[in-house]
Amino acid sequence: MAYEKPIADYDYKVENCTCAFCGCNCDDLVYLVKGGEIKGELKDGIVVNGYVDGGHVVGVRHACRLGASKIMEDMDQRLLVPMVRDENGNLVETDWNTALDKAAELIANAVRPVFYGWSETSIETMHYGLELGELVGAVLDNQATICHGPSLQAVQNAGYPVMTLGEVKNRADMIVYTGNNAMNSHPRHLGRYSTFPRGYFRKRGRFDRTVVTMDPRYTDTAKMSDIWVGFEQNGDYEFYNAMRAVLRGKKLEKDIISGIPKEDIENLVEEMKKAQFGALFFGLGLTHTLSKQRNIDIAINLVQDLNKFSKWNLIPMRGHFNVNGFNIFMAFEQGFPYGVDFARGYPRYMNGETNTIDLLTREEPDVFMVIAADPGAHFPSGANRHLANIPVIQIDIHWGPSTELADVVLPGSFIAVEAAGTSYRMDGVPIYMKQAISRPETARDDEWIVNELLKRVQRIKGIKPKVAGK
Amino acid sequence: MTYVNKPSVPNVVKFDEPTATKRDKLSVMLNTGSDIYQGACKKRGSTLKDEYRHVSGTAYMDPKDMAKLGVKNWDTAIVKTDWGEVVVYVAHSRDAPHEGQIFICKGPWANVVVSPETYCCCDPTYKGVPATIEKSDEQPLLMADLMAEVYKKYSDDETSTGNRTSTGNRLVKLPDNNASNYRS
Repeated sequence: MAYEKPIADYDYKVENCTCAFCGCNCDDLVYLVKGGEIKGELKDGIVVNGYVDGGHVVGVRHACRLGASKIMEDMDQRLLVPMVRDENGNLVETDWNTALDKAAELIANAVRPVFYGWSETSIETMHYGLELGELVGAVLDNQATICHGPSLQAVQNAGYPVMTLGEVKNRADMIVYTGNNAMNSHPRHLGRYSTFPRGYFRKRGRFDRTVVTMDPRYTDTAKMSDIWVGFEQNGDYEFYNAMRAVLRGKKLEKDIISGIPKEDIENLVEEMKKAQFGALFFGLGLTHTLSKQRNIDIAINLVQDLNKFSKWNLIPMRGHFNVNGFNIFMAFEQGFPYGVDFARGYPRYMNGETNTIDLLTREEPDVFMVIAADPGAHFPSGANRHLANIPVIQIDIHWGPSTELADVVLPGSFIAVEAAGTSYRMDGVPIYMKQAISRPETARDDEWIVNELLKRVQRIKGIKPKVAGK
Repeated sequence: MTYVNKPSVPNVVKFDEPTATKRDKLSVMLNTGSDIYQGACKKRGSTLKDEYRHVSGTAYMDPKDMAKLGVKNWDTAIVKTDWGEVVVYVAHSRDAPHEGQIFICKGPWANVVVSPETYCCCDPTYKGVPATIEKSDEQPLLMADLMAEVYKKYSDDETSTGNRTSTGNRLVKLPDNNASNYRS
């Protein structure tokens, strides 16, 4: 890798920005901004208050490769102007009024609209989205439906022995990563929260901690752990059950369980019992294999059993920066974390029925709104196929695979860089993400777009907007 | 170093693997997921570019499997499952050994071959899909071409597929959803 000089060609620094990539929500980033003028207060080249109007981010300090690449985005593919498909199937640039009217008309006349996404936008936007969904009887769903949905089901089945990442940093002496590759998907997780930082009770950082990775593949995370447990593909459920059996003092009858010798399992359980404070992080390796939520059930039960001997907690490794936020927001507002169906006028939640993938494979939706998500890139084509039959409305910042399937494209703004908003970290800590620069002139805030759609749908349906009483 | 042409992969030459017998077709288990190159490219927004095809449309294989199939880094292969067929690049896996498993990063290419079956648990089966992999002469398509060829939303006419030559990307099986019973 070639040596690259540090970026020195910038005008302002914006400190304490929050990264809008993964569930770590690192809130110590420094954006290096070039050009533009300050709307706020400047002290020694650092923007202490307000934002830079018209500038752009040329560099990021402290961010990982993922965060830096997202913040220093690809402006070639940035969506700047609203677009609508013409009869030849080409996206044609139009003005905001036309595009919003077209989208509002589609939503207002829909029988079974689905609003999917929300995980890469702010809680403030979801607030308007929920009102709109309730009004038209939509299904509101987020990316949890294709990633940690089974984890949320397991939480409903078995409980949620959760902690914050600060506790992990200060207390944990044993870290278990299971079914995830944190070095690739959450690169600063080990460095900032779990393994390397020095904590109040872990003065020596990495040397005071034992890291265990359980994954069928010898991943980058496994390469830097002390113990790698490479159980068989789809062997998670059996393996955790074996660990629970050992923990409860049973003797294992088989010599090899899920590809792991029984002595190794016994040793590992002994180590885990001896830990003073253990943290288990689980990822999509558990939720995407065949046993789905049962894998998480058993992992939660394992943590509960371990608490008879020592202190253990777990955190799901959430992917997007606000995927947890939507679940917390919906659970607070409506009682259900995701896949909430308003078709009957009241919130309804039924796994396998009101989830986006199941709805799409059954060809139920007649209008699909994608906000801050990319089903084109992440849904199996058996489900995506239905998006080719129905109108798709997209609110996003980049031209992606979903834009190829979209009929109305509304360019939003980039939360935590061009717009402020609240998000929830993977452990449920809310973080206010501040604005650093202004958005492109022709784009709009997600919050404004969804609110505008709501107003227009209300007008079509002849409903007066809610006004707070005096 | 934010932009990459291709992900860096080890170059373990194993053409003369003594235990390997040359085969035209391998039965493997397909896993999908994310890695750091795919994540960085996708979220930066560079999805129309060649970079995305290399980071996301690549099957990472065990070097022994590649020796059996007689392919080297950045050759192309066709992956077939019950659900679809897609042409991808092949490269040595950074997580090897995992003989009998291939890994394709999530993206439009992997989507064609993974199973949409959720077993009523909301989550499609992205990992552990039985698949076969064969050597191919075709090149993987860029994202926009692939979306047009697979989903055909705006090109019903088969002849309007432009100057694309590939025919290796298609859906094979549709989900069994009884929807046709209700269509008029």
